[in-house]
Amino acid sequence: MSEEEAYRTVLATLKEEAIYPYNEDEIQVVKSVESCINCGLCIQHCPVVAAVGLDRFSGPRSIAVELSRSPPEYWTTADVVYLCTGCGTCREVCPKDVDIPEIVNLIRARIFKHRPDLVPMQLHAADAILVEHGLAFVPWEDPEEKVESRNMRLERLGLRHVPDQVVKGADVLFYPGCQAEERAQEVKESAKIILDHFKVKFTLLEEMNCCGLPATLLGDDETALELALKLKKKVKDLGVKMVVTTCAGCTSNLARIAERDGWGIPVYHMLEYLVEEIGMVKLTSTFKQSTEEKPLRVTLHDPCHLIKHTSRITMDYAGQILSLIPDVEVTESFAHDSCCGGGGLVSYHAADVARAVMKENLAAIEETGASRVVTPCPLCTAQLEDSLFRQGSSVEVDDMTVFIAQRLPRKG
Amino acid sequence: MDLEADIVVIGGGMAGLVAGIRATEEGMKTVLLRKGQSATAYSSGAIDVIGYLPGGTVPLASPVEGLQGIASMFPLHPYGLLGFTGAESDTVSKTIIEKVRTAVSWLKATLLGSNIPFFGDIDSNLDAVTVLGTVKPTCMIQETMWPGSLMLDEDSVAFFAGVKGFPVFNPRMAAQVFLEHQISNKLPPRKAGHHVLDLAPFGNNYNISSIELARYLDNEDNLSALAKTLKKQADRIGATHIALPPVLGFNRARENQLALQDLTGAHVFELLSFPPSVPGLRLQRGLETAFVKGGGTLLVGHHAKMDSPKSKIVKKVTAVGPRRNLKISTKAVILATGKFIGGGIIGTENGIRESVFDLMTVSESFHIATNVTPQKLTNTLALSHMGHPLFGSGLSVDPQFRPITKEEIHAAENLYAAGSVLAGYNYPAEKSGLGVAIVTGYMASRNAVDYVKGVSA
Ligand SMILES: Cc1cc2nc3c(=O)[nH]c(=O)nc-3n(C[C@H](O)[C@H](O)[C@H](O)COP(=O)(O)OP(=O)(O)OC[C@H]3O[C@@H](n4cnc5c(N)ncnc54)[C@H](O)[C@@H]3O)c2cc1C
Ligand code: SF4
Ligand code: SF4
Repeated sequence: MSEEEAYRTVLATLKEEAIYPYNEDEIQVVKSVESCINCGLCIQHCPVVAAVGLDRFSGPRSIAVELSRSPPEYWTTADVVYLCTGCGTCREVCPKDVDIPEIVNLIRARIFKHRPDLVPMQLHAADAILVEHGLAFVPWEDPEEKVESRNMRLERLGLRHVPDQVVKGADVLFYPGCQAEERAQEVKESAKIILDHFKVKFTLLEEMNCCGLPATLLGDDETALELALKLKKKVKDLGVKMVVTTCAGCTSNLARIAERDGWGIPVYHMLEYLVEEIGMVKLTSTFKQSTEEKPLRVTLHDPCHLIKHTSRITMDYAGQILSLIPDVEVTESFAHDSCCGGGGLVSYHAADVARAVMKENLAAIEETGASRVVTPCPLCTAQLEDSLFRQGSSVEVDDMTVFIAQRLPRKG
Repeated sequence: MDLEADIVVIGGGMAGLVAGIRATEEGMKTVLLRKGQSATAYSSGAIDVIGYLPGGTVPLASPVEGLQGIASMFPLHPYGLLGFTGAESDTVSKTIIEKVRTAVSWLKATLLGSNIPFFGDIDSNLDAVTVLGTVKPTCMIQETMWPGSLMLDEDSVAFFAGVKGFPVFNPRMAAQVFLEHQISNKLPPRKAGHHVLDLAPFGNNYNISSIELARYLDNEDNLSALAKTLKKQADRIGATHIALPPVLGFNRARENQLALQDLTGAHVFELLSFPPSVPGLRLQRGLETAFVKGGGTLLVGHHAKMDSPKSKIVKKVTAVGPRRNLKISTKAVILATGKFIGGGIIGTENGIRESVFDLMTVSESFHIATNVTPQKLTNTLALSHMGHPLFGSGLSVDPQFRPITKEEIHAAENLYAAGSVLAGYNYPAEKSGLGVAIVTGYMASRNAVDYVKGVSA
């Protein structure tokens, strides 16, 4: 048998044995595991390990060195690999740059493809919604009701309404993400108010579609890619110069797919857009005229997808912006950069774990004595709001985009 | 995205943070980049200054004694470099000792400000007890790790308390090893007991990690539960000193120690443990807190990359984050990227390399190591007092702590280096790791600050 023949023979039996070789992209990630020195620093920092113990969640090192090497018996990994919130802490502390969150995605993708029976059923349900609607949530059945809900939110928060607009050739595409589009509509509204205030030529999408992050996280790579390419086409058709979003997960994921798929334009979080594009000079003079004047003690929560998947500089920006707003005092919580438990779709199927992770944040928030938590992500906002409410806490939560919009000088 | 700084520090272990905190104290706008976690966070959290002379087998009674030896015999050792002041040679050893004393006392005060009080100074080495029951000489330990009069008081009784399901620490073995060692050296205590407590932080008493226990004990209720069982067991044998694994909490270790002492009536202390240890992480956090409080900008999760061609002055550093690159313009740079754990020095199949600027590396004996493979720098004996020369490799610097080139001149006039990225000392063998990082970080920072003040004037 020639070498070539032997290769073909082996290749043909792989499938039979349920062995699926890694493709080029995957190999990069798998290779990063090879540099693991087994030091255990990641375990010491993982918020899930800290919250539920090593016995329930064997931790990042175990994912890197054991679980990623066990194909095809993915059944050994399934209960563990779905408990990772993808917060990125382990990658950040790893002295050897092992990319554990990507390894988690890779393992989940393989399980989804080859052993779908091992995927938690709640994630199958979430996937079905993504496939059917191209959104992370079932959209409003009645558009009237959506408008009503929006108006109620605007009124409660004292925000004006800036009409939706789709403008070809605008400078900025504002991309709200699924949460702000379907649920936290006040965030989308606030972003429009801010852009309008600074006279930015912006546009929305004609029809929203998910950036694909939830599909990636649950392992449905095909749907993730489909959504990403659909979005790329829409962005290209609009001919915008940049994309601005208010969601932390969208920021890191859009930045990732924009680079991968060659969008050729930058993606910013609103905070970055304000500091880098509008500029501190203009922001300073703007907030000097702010009319909101109730003194307020706040504390910040740093979304993982901003600090550990985009850049920690984003939260420096958040601090800089808050420092311009009169009568706002920021008290730092000792767990400000700890995962809120909302990531990785963990709360979909293991709410107890997500809540245990959040406990650390709640205690730290209470300790600051602040009456409000501000965070630049509608998903973190929802997660924090829900937990604080359950705990009977009087601390309120604001998405930072809303918080800013409320403090812009009133027009006219 | 652009940032401006007077000083950029690359590396966030002991050396980088000391340099960064000092620079902010001098009014410098300082940005510190830290890629992963450091060897500092990984360490036992006890600060060695110098435990053995290079190649020596007899433990030094004090760091001062070691520094005197280095002053006369090892002028190129990082501590030795402190003596190059152009002054008379008979003052060299005094100069070195004074500089080390200044830096170490400053650090102690700084950490006290972060609520991590340390015990000890460079006038004597201390005996710390490890989870194995062995005794390790070191210069300074966190107050929570100080065994008090345990090894001095003739009537002391030691009690080693472990936790069921926590595999790192076997109290029975530790008590036995410790007692045998003390008795053979004719030292107290003459009695030691042990017990395994059942704490079950998450409801189970198996497969427990140190981080779980530390977090668990950060909670006051849990601590009083521990105190109760601890007291009962310790009273049984009349313990005067209680040794616990180093898990007394992340945020309230000192308070917890004092509370336990109050509740049990015995002296309570943490043992030194394997990496990664909770006290190491406490030390790391304490330093970071001090840096940020002092007004420094800490950029975690960003690694420094140089994309400009080599020049005589480093004006820009690129900080590469997960999805963003920041360009930082600066007047001086301090390279404190550590060695093999930190990633400042890497061993490749072609030789020993410096990871950010591709600077010249040398071996422990100051031969160029850029083309020497790591295997050539190891001893045949895995464990010996000589250690492995590999750990003595790194950068060669001038007396101002600026890395030098083959031509023996500084690589750039505003580039300084500190900590384990430096060559010429073998920290595992000498027991000098964190001490060298503190002192060189302190001095490199002073020189960088002087430089910046000079060019700004
Ligand atoms: C297992 C172990 C136990 C030890 N125990 C002790 C002990 O008990 N007592 C003692 O005194 N010493 C001990 N040491 C030695 C001591 O920890 C080190 O010598 C000391 O921490 C070195 O400090 P450093 O700041 O030079 O380097 P490190 O602490 O390693 O810090 C280097 C930093 O640089 C960062 N970095 C590297 N490259 C880049 C880049 N390109 N961009 C940005 N950042 C970068 C790293 O992320 C890291 O934060 C121990 C060492 C080890 C490995
Ligand atoms: S990404 Fe976060 S939750 Fe997942 S293993 Fe790493 S540290 Fe733990
Ligand atoms: S921190 Fe990195 S090198 Fe250390 S055990 Fe975790 S994955 Fe491995």
